Amino acid sequence: MKRRKQRILMAKAMGVILTVMTFLILYVPILLILMLSLNDSARGYQWEGFTLKWYAMLFLDDIMKDPIVNTISIAILSTIISTILGTIFAIGIHALEKKRRVRMMVMNNVPVVNPDIVTGISLMIIFSILSFTLGFSTVLIAHVFFSIPYVILNIIPKLKRLDPNLYEAGLDLGCSRIEAVWRVIIPNISTGILTGALMAFTMSIDDFVITYFTSGNEYMNVSTWLYAALAREGRNSFTPVAYAYNTIIFLLTIIIIVFVNTRKERKVRTHEKSTCFTP
Amino acid sequence: MGKKLIELKNISKSFGDLVVLDHFNFYINENEFITLLGPSGCGKTTCLRLIGGFETPDDGEIIFDGKVINDLEPNQREINTCFQKYALFPHLNVFDNIAFGLKLKKLPKTEIVDRVHQTLKLVKLDGFQDRHISTLSGGQQQRVAIARAIVNRPKVLLLDEPLGALDLKLRQEMQYELKEMQRTLGITFVYVTHDQEEALTMSDTIVIMNEGKILQIGTPEDIYNEPKNRFVANFIGESNIFEGIMIEDYLVKFVDREFKCVDKGFHLNEAVDVVIRPEDFDFVPPSKAKIKGIVDSLTFKGVHYEINVMVDGREYTIHTTKYREVGDRVGLSVEPESIHVMRRQRS
Amino acid sequence: MKRLRFFSIPYLAWMLIFIAVPTLILIMLAFSDYSLYYPSRFEITWVNFQIFSQSYMSKAIIYSFGLSIITTLICFVIGYPVAYYLANLPEKTRKIWLALLIVPLWANMLLRIFAWEKIFTPLSIFTDLSGLSLDLLGTNTGIVIGMVGMYLPFMIFPLFSVLERMDYSLVEAAKDLGATDLNVFFKVIFPMSLGGIVSGVIMTMLPAMTSFVLPARIGLGRINLIGNIIESKFMKEVMGSGGLSINVGSLISLMLMLFSVISFVIITRFDKEGETLI
Repeated sequence: MKRRKQRILMAKAMGVILTVMTFLILYVPILLILMLSLNDSARGYQWEGFTLKWYAMLFLDDIMKDPIVNTISIAILSTIISTILGTIFAIGIHALEKKRRVRMMVMNNVPVVNPDIVTGISLMIIFSILSFTLGFSTVLIAHVFFSIPYVILNIIPKLKRLDPNLYEAGLDLGCSRIEAVWRVIIPNISTGILTGALMAFTMSIDDFVITYFTSGNEYMNVSTWLYAALAREGRNSFTPVAYAYNTIIFLLTIIIIVFVNTRKERKVRTHEKSTCFTP
Repeated sequence: MGKKLIELKNISKSFGDLVVLDHFNFYINENEFITLLGPSGCGKTTCLRLIGGFETPDDGEIIFDGKVINDLEPNQREINTCFQKYALFPHLNVFDNIAFGLKLKKLPKTEIVDRVHQTLKLVKLDGFQDRHISTLSGGQQQRVAIARAIVNRPKVLLLDEPLGALDLKLRQEMQYELKEMQRTLGITFVYVTHDQEEALTMSDTIVIMNEGKILQIGTPEDIYNEPKNRFVANFIGESNIFEGIMIEDYLVKFVDREFKCVDKGFHLNEAVDVVIRPEDFDFVPPSKAKIKGIVDSLTFKGVHYEINVMVDGREYTIHTTKYREVGDRVGLSVEPESIHVMRRQRS
Repeated sequence: MKRLRFFSIPYLAWMLIFIAVPTLILIMLAFSDYSLYYPSRFEITWVNFQIFSQSYMSKAIIYSFGLSIITTLICFVIGYPVAYYLANLPEKTRKIWLALLIVPLWANMLLRIFAWEKIFTPLSIFTDLSGLSLDLLGTNTGIVIGMVGMYLPFMIFPLFSVLERMDYSLVEAAKDLGATDLNVFFKVIFPMSLGGIVSGVIMTMLPAMTSFVLPARIGLGRINLIGNIIESKFMKEVMGSGGLSINVGSLISLMLMLFSVISFVIITRFDKEGETLI
């Protein structure tokens, strides 16, 4: 018995140690980026004191203006488009009979499993066959393309949990087919739509590989701009404004997600409360 | 009873290779409480969905108030449905669920409020309007589902096993209330169930179905007392079914004995099925009885005993209030009116 | 809801355009001398296959496999106990720790790689702040550590989701039937988490094997993986290899696609609708 206890204790200790290691390996680079954004040195070879000037430059200086504007506008537009399309497609896929639904989901998951580099090259090739000029529109299409599967994957489980008669109840009470989707289905899968949209946004804003292959020479987002700067001049060639930008986007994402999650939880909790009061 | 309101003419419907409804014909009168009764998978829900407009027939016509409505959308029909498991909108509270249809009709606000409150009173849910759906009990959700449908004042209300999820006591209470509601509202109810007791209690007319076909249409009394065939007899109540021969009018032979009966119009020596309900057997002293046997088992069922009697190697089921010991020798008698003779099914 | 089926039709068309058609073109390019940008000739040929006789290509394949397999193994050895540990925490804290695993993925990938580059430089701001001096640029160890840092969460998520959903009454049942702790783990928990293991291994190994920025930066260009060769064939030496660089690149991409098809078939056997993928 004593030996068993010892073994369990050891297993637990191992779990704790490995978890600490995991968080170290994930967070050390993040902390370093944070420090670099606060470091009073353009080259960043060593710590030269605290400053906020890179943050000020981010807003006052034009140095990274174009890539930042591009990144944010692509992220917002592709999130909106892929969320709308993904929601419609998910509802359609869910309505299919099982065999076809599974087949559609298998196809849906191709871009999820496929390595980014393969997806990027596939898109680049189709764009050149269709003789699209690489730039804003091709990057937007590419981002919509890789976001839709994630939106669908987030929505399908919510649809599965719905009572299949719910939509018909809407029709029965006087909705047209489209009205019933809007008034009955959408409100009941809204959490799935929201998490899908958040996922699409976070992936678009940080994407490098797919943008790299579909943006051409002129159009750049922050990632491809950084890559070009590194390739052009080698190490330490870009301004610490990039660290400041990344830190702000990073914190913004955390704030949005925390906000959305606490709101969701509060909703659930008020629900539970009223349940408690049921006689 | 009023005029024909809905008529199904020669309706067929298949899903893939599975024929769900096979040349289906029946009609529903105004203000009628009609029940489609049958085992699960017999096509009764599909039939209801065709009337509601959620499926379209492959063949045949659905006629409502003299007009063919095959291709009408559900929202264009003066028919509302109370769904299995209710299908209440989880994102809306009680009031908004019930007001859903009225709001779509763009009625003035005051009228909506009035009608919702009236209906809430009718289903005995006064004061529940602000409650969230997830906080209601099964019985309360059931009432909201009915209220949500009848607030629109449809001509027909379709109910798909609405009491299936409730416990026995509540179910019996609701049966009575539903019947009462149908009388006061004067709406035609089309009710789907697999529970024969429910069907017998509430209906004006019962349609018995199996494998996409109608087996019998009639009042509950007709169907219980004069089942048309073996399946109906078996499905409605418990039955002892014997194979026999109709010797002549009013005389039938089964289990090698001849019995007087009230049936006529069969061929001479036609093979028939004979049904005797368990409660129609009486115990008599063995010396006076045509059928003699030994009590095999006895179960107390509350109101009555269920006694199995072994006669010539065959078990007879009897419902009686009289007590007999296992192993007793008993005689059985049956009145001529209680012997139901049916044509043998060709199968 | 059957009436809403037509909503899925445009998606089918969409996927045909962006998945099926490019794949066919990749195949065409790989087996011919067709030029994507100056379409004039078209002849079926095996000439593109000569790339596999080049030593830098075979080296890239060996390194890609070797480094990604080692990375996946390390991720699994760390990730499984961590996922198990987290899945057994009380519900509230469990969610917070999981969220903390996702958070680092929201930072820009290139900057994270660049941070690793700094960490692996013997004299850098990292040395300044932590007192540690590492010299791992241009080494396999450096690349593997960087990859583990990038892809470890992708191993943990699917494992966590199967372990969290697992019915622990089965564990109790097994103990009730006389199984020891070790038995319970190898005969009940481990086989039931197989679906998550498969997803985790593939979601770690495929990106690791096909990465190109990380090996280029941390490997200082000394260690090239398949991804680096594809990048250079498509983006840098577009007119190289006798004008056939895009065809050669297509062939290599096709090879990667083959790996992902195989992975895909394996995943689909365990999880038809991809519920462990997010």
